[in-house]
Amino acid sequence: MKVQISNGMFMALIINMIYAKAIGVTQGSMAREVGGDIWISTLIATIQGGVIMFLVILVIRRMPEGDLIDQAARLLGKWFGKFVALITFIFFLASYGPVMSTFVFHLKDYFLPEAPILLFIMAAFLLGTYAIYFGVEVIARMALIGVFSIIALNILLMLGSLSEFDIRELRPTFQMGFLRTVWASRHHNTDWAMATIMAGIILPMVADKKSWGKMGFAGIGYGMVFIIMWPILEAGVLSPETAAQYIVSCMQMARSAQIGYFIHRYEMIMIAFFALSILTQIMMSLLCASVAMQKMLGLKDYRKVIIPTAMILSAFGYWINFDKNRAIDFLEGWWVYISLGVAVGLPFLILVMGFLFKKKLKKENVAEEAN
Amino acid sequence: MKRHLKWSLLLILILLLSGCAGKRELNDLALVMAVGIDKGEEENAFKVTAQIARPADARGQTGAPSGQTGEPILTIVGQGESLFDAIRDLSSFTTRNVFWAHNQVIVINEDLAKEGIAQVIDFFTRNPELRMRTWVVITPEKASTLVSTVTGLEVIPGEAVNKLFRYGEISNVAPNSQIMDVQAAYLSQSSQPIIARVSLKEVMVSNKKPEKGPTIKQVDLAGAGVFQEDRLVGVLKPEETRALMLFTERLKSGVVTTPCKSKPERTVSVELRDQMFQVTPHIKGSEISFTAEYDAFAMVVEAGCPFSIDDQEQVTKLEQAVEKKLKKEIDTTINKVQKEYKTDVFELGKVFHNEYPGYWKQIADDWEEVFPTVDIKVSVNVEVKDSVLLWEETNSGKKENSAN
Repeated sequence: MKVQISNGMFMALIINMIYAKAIGVTQGSMAREVGGDIWISTLIATIQGGVIMFLVILVIRRMPEGDLIDQAARLLGKWFGKFVALITFIFFLASYGPVMSTFVFHLKDYFLPEAPILLFIMAAFLLGTYAIYFGVEVIARMALIGVFSIIALNILLMLGSLSEFDIRELRPTFQMGFLRTVWASRHHNTDWAMATIMAGIILPMVADKKSWGKMGFAGIGYGMVFIIMWPILEAGVLSPETAAQYIVSCMQMARSAQIGYFIHRYEMIMIAFFALSILTQIMMSLLCASVAMQKMLGLKDYRKVIIPTAMILSAFGYWINFDKNRAIDFLEGWWVYISLGVAVGLPFLILVMGFLFKKKLKKENVAEEAN
Repeated sequence: MKRHLKWSLLLILILLLSGCAGKRELNDLALVMAVGIDKGEEENAFKVTAQIARPADARGQTGAPSGQTGEPILTIVGQGESLFDAIRDLSSFTTRNVFWAHNQVIVINEDLAKEGIAQVIDFFTRNPELRMRTWVVITPEKASTLVSTVTGLEVIPGEAVNKLFRYGEISNVAPNSQIMDVQAAYLSQSSQPIIARVSLKEVMVSNKKPEKGPTIKQVDLAGAGVFQEDRLVGVLKPEETRALMLFTERLKSGVVTTPCKSKPERTVSVELRDQMFQVTPHIKGSEISFTAEYDAFAMVVEAGCPFSIDDQEQVTKLEQAVEKKLKKEIDTTINKVQKEYKTDVFELGKVFHNEYPGYWKQIADDWEEVFPTVDIKVSVNVEVKDSVLLWEETNSGKKENSAN
């Protein structure tokens, strides 16, 4: 039987897919550009993310049983499909660099500074491959629990830091100008890019096709609600200059939070509750890259390519994160261009092709339904 | 084959995911409770004093269970060209792994602070082991002496300083300077850091020689250090610090004592509650000014002369006296900080930036020169609303002994 996930699971996947990196690593990058206006950049990126998500849903709706790659193949033939699969593979290969940066910088820098990077890469490899072997449903169920842990983390962090909150740090707005604030939103757009391209791969597995749009936007809405608290608190509690100083500003935030005398230093709480989100990012990146690899090679099951795909992604993740300067350069430079290029370009290209070859698509859809 | 593969995978998972990587056993750790930083003997060197808890001796409230050393702390000193170097030096003679996560306070000697503490801020905010809510204090004493002075009811001096801050909110004699606040002020474009000041004061009476009065030195909250970027440029006395804290913190309470109108040798004390302090920036042409409005409710907590809240004339006079005293305190502190130290620890730059972001851009780089010239007008309004439990004045029933 074909694997299916519920619409709630799809929404949970979207939330988890953006959360882990967006609350800290992304905010640090944006704070270095726009200071206290990081929360505005976050909002702007969310709106842009919503537009791309709408585009992806529009594309997939035309051929609900196939993902972006299948639709490309249907439109312009096998080789165009393979080309789109290659682009998708490159996207998730590149995404694995920042995903592993988030994973490694949280765990290694704050907990296990002596542990080798390879340990984290291997842990992600083992957990990721094990999970995706069982398919998207397992990951999606985990993501549902992940949403609750995100809520718990947000509440705890708010309780532990509101006493230090200074609204003056958020004023005045648009200190660096409107255009720079919009431009800084590109860092958070990369997070949305991962969620939207993931949606382009897994949407056909989502059960209730009628409510795809509703759940997609609900995912974006809830994602925004869970994330927006972080830039506001990071600027208001730590100060924008401090948030900008750190690579992972959410961990700095966690390190500064405390409730009463005995509950302080939230790093452990933070890791415990955000683990499911970062694991979702790791697993979905591996899964989507494996699906892309399978379609590139014309295989029937992605499980056969899990190990080689994970090895390629892990090698890349290791290489990128071995040098912190390289990791941040990639995260704030190349990754932005790759992710936004693919997230905007690919759905748009397929959408335009769909309009141009509308008749062909319709004809083939009818033929398939008849079979 | 599949079974072998499964077992191999399981073994690898156990090795990698067991959480044993980087483990540190509790009994292998030397828990630092306070750290003191002095200038080293050589030029540009640091002397780091670490106060390490002896868990076996620090049990309970009095320490020294039988069979132990009786010393709840071990104080050791390391030297080096940098803080990291000095801390590494500590590990050459400690039998355990020096662990900083439980450090409660960073004590910086004033001579070192006058030369700059940028390196201290960088080290303690860069290191993942340290807490960001760690207290930072400066001291005119040697930091090494201060961190090894057992204070109050605690057996661990670091814990004592921590509690001095935690439970000393009512005294308002030193700002709550945590490393995260110092870091934020140092990184800020407009504000300057302030750090609590502590000193050693003979306030404790020896149980063995009570007739000699207070002879044992204890750690005492003693005002604040005012910084220009990372250099200490001056200190504020405890009574001046309260006025400074109005600008930077939300004060829960405070006490003002004024002489009685009828008998000036006696005093009336009021406790200030619901203190509100609002600073508003103004700009007229290129003239920048600020108005600071202070509002509070007060309750009479002690009266050396007969006082009844029912006597409206007496209440008004008391309010005026309290307002006058408070205004003088605030004006004195403003004058000292603005004219003498010339450093914006009041966060006025931030307030002005919030209100006039466009104009701020023009003056941001020159704020250091502008700040001493700005006019700050203070208005104080105190309303006495409570006399705690008493309604009638405390007066002798015998006419001849009456306080009147």
